[in-house]
Amino acid sequence: MQLTVAEQLSHEPKYWRRELATILVVLALLVWSSSAVEMQQNAGNGFSVAGGIFRGIFHPTASLLFGTGKNGVAYLLLETMCIAFLGTLVGAVFAIPISFLSAFNIVPKWIGIIGRVFIMAVRTIPAFVYGLMFIMVTGPGPFAGLLTMSLCSVGMLSKMFIEAIEDLDKGILESLDAQGCTFFQKIKYGIFPQLLPSFASTLIYRFDMNLRDATVLGLVGAGGIGAPLIFAMASYRWNDVGAILVGLIILVLVVEWISGKLRSKLMRG
Amino acid sequence: MQLYDRLFPPKTYTLSNGKSVSEKRSRAPLVWLVMICFTAISVRITGFNFGVLFRRGSFFFVMLGDMFPPDFAYMENVWKPLWDTIKMSLLGSAFGALICIPFAILSSTNLVRNRLVTTIFKFLFSLVRTLPTLVAALIATYIFGLGTLAGTVAITVFTFAYCGKILYENLEQADMGPYEALEALGCRGITCINHAIFPQVLPTYLSTVLFCFEGNVRYASILGYVGAGGLGIILNEKIGWREYGKVGMILLALFAAVVAIESLSQYLRSKLT
Amino acid sequence: MGNHAPLRKVIPSLSAKADTNSGAIMIEFRHVGKVYPNGTIGLKEVNLKIKDGEFIAIIGRSGAGKSTLIRAINKMHAVTSGELLVDDVDVSKLEGKSLRRLRRKIGMIFQSFNLVTRTTVIKNVLTGFVPDLPWWRSLLGVYPQSCKVKALEALDKVGILDKAYIRVDQLSGGQQQRVALARTLAQNPKVILADEPVAALDPVTAKQVMDDFKRINEEMGITVLINIHHVELALEYAHRVIGIRSGVIIYDGPSEKVDQKVLDSIYGPAQKEADHAAV
Repeated sequence: MQLTVAEQLSHEPKYWRRELATILVVLALLVWSSSAVEMQQNAGNGFSVAGGIFRGIFHPTASLLFGTGKNGVAYLLLETMCIAFLGTLVGAVFAIPISFLSAFNIVPKWIGIIGRVFIMAVRTIPAFVYGLMFIMVTGPGPFAGLLTMSLCSVGMLSKMFIEAIEDLDKGILESLDAQGCTFFQKIKYGIFPQLLPSFASTLIYRFDMNLRDATVLGLVGAGGIGAPLIFAMASYRWNDVGAILVGLIILVLVVEWISGKLRSKLMRG
Repeated sequence: MQLYDRLFPPKTYTLSNGKSVSEKRSRAPLVWLVMICFTAISVRITGFNFGVLFRRGSFFFVMLGDMFPPDFAYMENVWKPLWDTIKMSLLGSAFGALICIPFAILSSTNLVRNRLVTTIFKFLFSLVRTLPTLVAALIATYIFGLGTLAGTVAITVFTFAYCGKILYENLEQADMGPYEALEALGCRGITCINHAIFPQVLPTYLSTVLFCFEGNVRYASILGYVGAGGLGIILNEKIGWREYGKVGMILLALFAAVVAIESLSQYLRSKLT
Repeated sequence: MGNHAPLRKVIPSLSAKADTNSGAIMIEFRHVGKVYPNGTIGLKEVNLKIKDGEFIAIIGRSGAGKSTLIRAINKMHAVTSGELLVDDVDVSKLEGKSLRRLRRKIGMIFQSFNLVTRTTVIKNVLTGFVPDLPWWRSLLGVYPQSCKVKALEALDKVGILDKAYIRVDQLSGGQQQRVALARTLAQNPKVILADEPVAALDPVTAKQVMDDFKRINEEMGITVLINIHHVELALEYAHRVIGIRSGVIIYDGPSEKVDQKVLDSIYGPAQKEADHAAV
């Protein structure tokens, strides 16, 4: 029997109920969430603050921005970069063994799951908690910041390392085996070349992010540019705030540009 | 790199049939040198010191140990800040995700012919992305006062930048064929984008937003440190008072919440693709 | 090709088309030229008169200007000199709303189908109605019943009514091109421009799609212009052939009169070399 237009019309799948339900659920969630929004009464002078910061960015304190002393923005940015750099490296040192222990194609499934739960726990702990804890260990300053950064990096580094490890082409190992290579030769010639570009790219990406997060550390007193920022803001010295923000933005943009170039070079070989 | 090749000329191999092949010298030594230099500088500046680590490192684990077993009785006080944290991230993620759409469209070179406009908006995204979330939260507390509104705004800003960049990258790679077809039958630009481009990018976009929301829940707990609401406030307090049992409880609650949300999010995301 | 209903009986509104305006000039090119910004010449001194209801095939080498010619008609490519009249309106002067209104009357079929592959067949056809709907309907994708019926009828006309609720990426090439055809029919166009519509299809499917074009032209009186590099198909289906080479019209006449000499002038000696090589 031939299908008629009228029949086909009646066959139209009725998605609208499901779509409507989804939309209602989402709206309900949003309405429920807005109940948490609270702000203090001094919101009135909020605009003057915003204006102040805005103006401060365009009239940064030159001495602060270009100063060469330990309080200068340049030195602090350098310190922040070093914190991020070493933090990424140390984080990698922790992350590599943990990643291998969590990759399902290397270890049995139950070990892998324990590894991943461990990583998730490490990742969940907020950065400033680590910061405060490390300050107790090493005293305030950039060393604490570095250690904090490394633990914070472990989360993302492990996740991306695990992906790279699980993507490993076993075929190459097979052919090396067939040629009669030892265990270590297989690792050096079979595994490293596959993982290295991926690992390196991940490290650079994480360094980029750590640079941004490193400013956080200053807020807990763990070095870097966060501390002067918070002092300047607390004293309403908008021009100083502007100087710091400008320096920060420039640094991040430059590093991002360089790291982008490096990563695409790595990926394309 | 050309300088490098001039200083260390490529090695030439001559094959038995007379042909010669030149191989550029490996870059590895240069890379090693650069890395070692940076490491040395960094160690100097940050004051990295193995000695301190060995001597005092155990203290870290002592604190960790104090957190377990966590103080379960304290859980009552954890609920409200926990829900606050989740709500802040939900609202912030939703707003950020919505607001970034028009900006992402304006940044896409295949949808907007004007190069100047797209460059400006792309730069805007870069600029906003350089701002660390905590700094944004700090500024927000000054503008909006202490409390969760500041935190929500900070999360909105971060989500805006993150989702926006991914969205415009996807938009630029979308298949323009259907767009062209709709243009040819008389639709305006916006209509073409709505009917031809969005169906293509929607699954990835929603997936990105969910992923961002996952991360935002963890971020939101930090924001409390600057007074922007959520778990961070009580966390900071309890660490200050060295009440590690309670700290442990808060962390445990946070962990449970994050696991739950991430599982839900991963499930939803797998259904999208 | 299957179980489609005979056109005139089912949709009386559309059959009325065939009787109006036959013989009137639909499209006219007057001294039309197109020069690209980098200096390349796309079209040169094109003069053409296309009547309502004609079925025309445009042939020529790749890059000869076939696409430019066709896309000039709905201003997908703008011409740089001369006048292009469609239904007595100069296309090159149109912008914005009036251009969109003109495009409603012109349907376009593409080589790569240009459908939204993630959605269903019927949603794709419904997009043909979008410019005529109020903004909120378009935004939310809520179509009135009448549109849905017309869309289904269009699908019926091309013989794939049973595939209405299936996702486009699950269809074959020939079926997808038919969906594109149905989308165009939903617009109720006076002219259909087809840019290499069968180039991506196998020979059997290609013939089926050409048959569809022929039916639409004969039963609905829609003017059809097809860009095609497959000369045999062109000669078999079209009444009139336009041969273009390097932006200039070399031949414009009935398809019966196209012989090897004409083809050589359009495709150039390279065609002969290719023939010699094949021998």
